[in-house]
Amino acid sequence: MSSLKVWRVNLTEQTLKVESTPEEWDRLGGRGLIARILVDEVPATCEPLGPFNKLIFSPGLLVGHMLSSCDRISVGGKSPLTGGIKESNAGGSTGLNMAMLGMKALILEGELEPWWVLHLSIDGVRFEKADELAGLGVTEAASILLKRFGEKVAVSVIGPGGEMKLASAGIQNLDKDKVPARIAARGGLGAVMGAKGLKAVVFDARGAIKPAVHDLNAFRSAQKRFTESLMAQQQTKIYKDFGTAAMTRMSNGFGALPTRNFRSGSFEGAESISGEYMRQVILDRGGEGKTSHACMAGCTIQCSNDYAGSDGKSLVTPLEYETIGLMGSNLGIDNLDTIAKLNWEVNDLGLDSIEIGAALGVAAEAGLLKFGDGDRAMELLVEIRAGTPLGRILGNGAVAVGKIFGITRVPAVKGQAMSAYEPRAIKGTGVTYATSPQGADHTSGLTIRAKVNHLDPKGQADLSRTAQINMAGYDTLGACIFSGSGFAAAIDTIRDLLNARYGWEVGLDILQVLGKEALKLEREFNQRAGFTRHHDRLPEYMTREALPPFNPVFDVPDEDLDNVFNW
Amino acid sequence: MSMQLIVHLHTLLQIPSENGLVNRLTLSGQPGMTLGELVSRLGVQVDPEQTLLVVNGQIAEMTTELSDGDEVHLIPAISGG
Repeated sequence: MSSLKVWRVNLTEQTLKVESTPEEWDRLGGRGLIARILVDEVPATCEPLGPFNKLIFSPGLLVGHMLSSCDRISVGGKSPLTGGIKESNAGGSTGLNMAMLGMKALILEGELEPWWVLHLSIDGVRFEKADELAGLGVTEAASILLKRFGEKVAVSVIGPGGEMKLASAGIQNLDKDKVPARIAARGGLGAVMGAKGLKAVVFDARGAIKPAVHDLNAFRSAQKRFTESLMAQQQTKIYKDFGTAAMTRMSNGFGALPTRNFRSGSFEGAESISGEYMRQVILDRGGEGKTSHACMAGCTIQCSNDYAGSDGKSLVTPLEYETIGLMGSNLGIDNLDTIAKLNWEVNDLGLDSIEIGAALGVAAEAGLLKFGDGDRAMELLVEIRAGTPLGRILGNGAVAVGKIFGITRVPAVKGQAMSAYEPRAIKGTGVTYATSPQGADHTSGLTIRAKVNHLDPKGQADLSRTAQINMAGYDTLGACIFSGSGFAAAIDTIRDLLNARYGWEVGLDILQVLGKEALKLEREFNQRAGFTRHHDRLPEYMTREALPPFNPVFDVPDEDLDNVFNW
Repeated sequence: MSMQLIVHLHTLLQIPSENGLVNRLTLSGQPGMTLGELVSRLGVQVDPEQTLLVVNGQIAEMTTELSDGDEVHLIPAISGG
């Protein structure tokens, strides 16, 4: 058994219990542990914004050692967006600081009258009133919290979106440079935190000692091999130089770049929102702009960036592909400065840029803005900040906008908007969107890297199954999606790192063992919540409307979708 | 009779020139030209294992024969964003 403890905070009673980790939870972390806890403790039919839901933070199994790209924090609960299970993970410093405090998981139960800050340290818990933070964006709120609690703490904070309990609200975490831009974005967990009356959770690891390693020499040896493997991958260099925005032209080349509310997979303005173009702009402008940046201490990939305006001052950090896809091409916007400004606003509101980009796309379809009109898109974000009825509709995501305005072309599954990969053009990813217990989400199992005919429905379910299992495994380790290429080329290092860290004797298949366990538990929760195989489907219009320029429809048979989890 | 091709060079495969990096070219070639022959003509270093070769939205091989109007993407592979 590891020495990590479960910290259980009852918000209603304002108490903390530090508990030994139950045996059946011990070999899980991050996404897998969140699924286990939700199955064990949360009624699946509960109101997501009510007192019976729990908000759970859990570092992955490898978190706490500044292993490159492996200090991610998972946050979970029942989703107010999907009505099902939700785990959303982020980089930044929260995971590392939780591990330093010896936390296996932090379980937040009950609710408080808003607004409070929860301060967690080696001395236990403090509840501090936070009325002065109410209504503030995450940038200002984080700045005040860092002054109040010191520069060394990690902070998880919600913005106005979470306070308004909008279903697209996430939880922002500080990056290693104290910028609150590493968001556990998906599924409305910021609304769950808001419903519990919490503006922020502060993880103060001062005085804590690093988590123990069972066999330090073996751990260091495996760490060295993993880092070397990661650094040897060509894609590591691409992410470092071009960021995730390198995906823009790649997706466009496959006819899979969401354009004008997923009406096309090809955008005529793709070049000017590409990673190649962005890199050149950042280099030409100089100033505060950076083409690469690590969101977590110790990360060697450094896919993040800082995008500066023409005056050299930072407009947003980071500017990522998903935002470029959903708030750029999906809105017909071909200007990175415009996208960066929209991105900053969404970040500061504490919202998921994927969900908001998709919601604005549906809103454009409804005539609330013209595609390509960045000024109007910003006005609509201002509506969200002001909490107007229209703003709240937008903030509740793409499906809500579609229902209110009578639009059926809504790119979402289980209530959650699709990421920036058109499922008709990348059908394996379409299978993932359809069947993932998390709702439509590329991080649940993206298949675009595979050398297959992405337009052929055959074999896509198998491809998605493998990707979903592996990704659920990485999310349980706390490993970034981009560490996967390094691990895949040195697969024994996962086994060796876990065995060295915990004194276990797991085998080479541990990634798949963890992934399958997480998925099994997630599906169990969703089943109890009322989900059936009929929820594992893409929106109907995608099965009949051909997608330019290559004109595929989504035609993976239902039978294949129903067999994804039969392994 | 020659054919026209549009070639997109991604990230690490952009070609340096006096006017900066070139990432899109229009080329003419003889019918039946293979993707491998095109890559040789461009003078770019392509590791087939780590590169996605895409013609008109579909994965292709170095041996794929090209046709007039084809749009080719040479993509150093990445796994997502």
